[in-house]
Amino acid sequence: MVPVVAAAALAGALGDIVDLSDVAMMLLVAIAAVAMTLGRGPSIAAAFLAVGLLDFFFVLPFFTFKVNDLRYLVTFAVMICAAVLIGSLAERLARLAGEAEAARVRAETEELRSSILSSVSHDLRSPIGVVLGAATTLLDERTLLAPDQRTELTATIRDEASRLARLVSNLLDMSRVDAPGLEVVAEWVPVEELVGAALSRLDARLSAREVIIRVPSTVLVLVDPVLFDLVLVNLLENVLKHTPEGSPIEIDARSSADAVTIDVADRGPGIPRGSEARVFEKFVRAGGATGGVGLGLAICRGIARAHGGTITASNREGEGAVFRVTLPLRGEPPVPPIEASVE
Amino acid sequence: MTDARTRVLVIEDELPMRRFLRATLASHGYDVVLAASAAEGVAMATQHQPDVVLLDLGLPDADGLALTQQIREWSQVPILVVSARGREDDKVQALDAGADDYLTKPFGVNELLARLRAALRRSAGIEASSGVLVVGALEVDVPRHVVRVRGEPVHLTPIEFRLLLVLAKHAGRVLTHRQILQEVWGPNAGSQNQYLRVYMTHLRRKLEVDPARPKLLLNEPGVGYRLDDSGA
Repeated sequence: MVPVVAAAALAGALGDIVDLSDVAMMLLVAIAAVAMTLGRGPSIAAAFLAVGLLDFFFVLPFFTFKVNDLRYLVTFAVMICAAVLIGSLAERLARLAGEAEAARVRAETEELRSSILSSVSHDLRSPIGVVLGAATTLLDERTLLAPDQRTELTATIRDEASRLARLVSNLLDMSRVDAPGLEVVAEWVPVEELVGAALSRLDARLSAREVIIRVPSTVLVLVDPVLFDLVLVNLLENVLKHTPEGSPIEIDARSSADAVTIDVADRGPGIPRGSEARVFEKFVRAGGATGGVGLGLAICRGIARAHGGTITASNREGEGAVFRVTLPLRGEPPVPPIEASVE
Repeated sequence: MTDARTRVLVIEDELPMRRFLRATLASHGYDVVLAASAAEGVAMATQHQPDVVLLDLGLPDADGLALTQQIREWSQVPILVVSARGREDDKVQALDAGADDYLTKPFGVNELLARLRAALRRSAGIEASSGVLVVGALEVDVPRHVVRVRGEPVHLTPIEFRLLLVLAKHAGRVLTHRQILQEVWGPNAGSQNQYLRVYMTHLRRKLEVDPARPKLLLNEPGVGYRLDDSGA
């Protein structure tokens, strides 16, 4: 309503310079402004206000709502019609813009979905193909296989099947993390315990690695232990995948007044400059690595965010990469009451 | 009974899984009985008196939880539940209802055999709550309240001792947080819930060579704790 009142005030201030039709035009512009921004309802209200102001202040007799010249009734009707028209047009325009935006989002989702589908179907198909082929060869009575060839084929089936299992569980984890309303059941957990569980889950694959752990037992975080386990396991798997066999892994945890940071660092080739943020995108695989769909770090990011935290990647001094999870420290970790020691 | 072999009842609705389990278990000397549904499983359990039950939690005709409770009404046979990762709540419920341990699909043959052996060892084993419990490098002298690890005596607080004792009595088996809380603190356990993890880190500090890579006091995220006896 402000533009209408402003237009009327301006017209009043200009006094004799403008005549009545100029005032009507100025009010019409004000109505149009209201219609464009607020739509039909408010624009009709603005039109009535304008008519009222015009009649009261500018049409003889002044300072009454009486109208001596019927001609002005036509002016009033025109103002209201214009308000309805412009208001309706503006609303339609807004609706069309909304639809266009929705269509754009749909197209982008569609594009993402098809890229996911092609990426996933390739990654699933190739191990399935190997398993099928190897099993068929093993079963075919006409093929003559030396015992060590049989063993090799059987081992291939096992390896490819475990690769499939990893892919599928990554996909399931990702869809769980991505699902709207991901439930985070947070409790205070010592970081040392989380690290311990993740390391024992990967025990066999870590046997050739030196793992340097600097995690004080007093650092506790408020997290969902099942979800956060996925963060550590995926970060460690990422290191295993991208760094040379036998190179060390370092795990650090620290707490400050308002946050806990957990670092997983390696001495591998590091992250290509400029890709530090991109590595957390879905289906992004760094350095042509094979054996994954490129979801591990996206899962980590999803879970870190679900806890109100962040995850970043950077290159270390010297050589290697470091992945840092930062979780806000909310509230006080539990401290059990002190008890006497037994002899 | 003419057959002295250990009898495993497999309750699993997926045919390929049954095939795999029958072949694998039979080749390792077990006598395998198969059931494809919960109803069949109950019938087989009464008829064949298995030494251990391998129970899939995703059966179509009844949930594994109800079946666990049903079997527990009349039998103490060890029950190993099998379910997928991400279904930790199911496992906890089944364990609280009396299942002995769990396996997460997909599992390897070695893991399967180790869990079976552990379950059988426990059911055959001494129900010792007095005397000295020995689990790997760990020795718990129950009457004297003395704990040794790798031969060295360790000083524990009363709560730490009770916590360790509960885990040692069920060595090799996963215990849910609820089970541990009830056994250590009894009906007033509620308020202690938040401290359990902290007490566990204290115990690890005292018993493990490297507390961040525990070999004895294992944490199974979302399920509970296990005092590992496989190194025994």
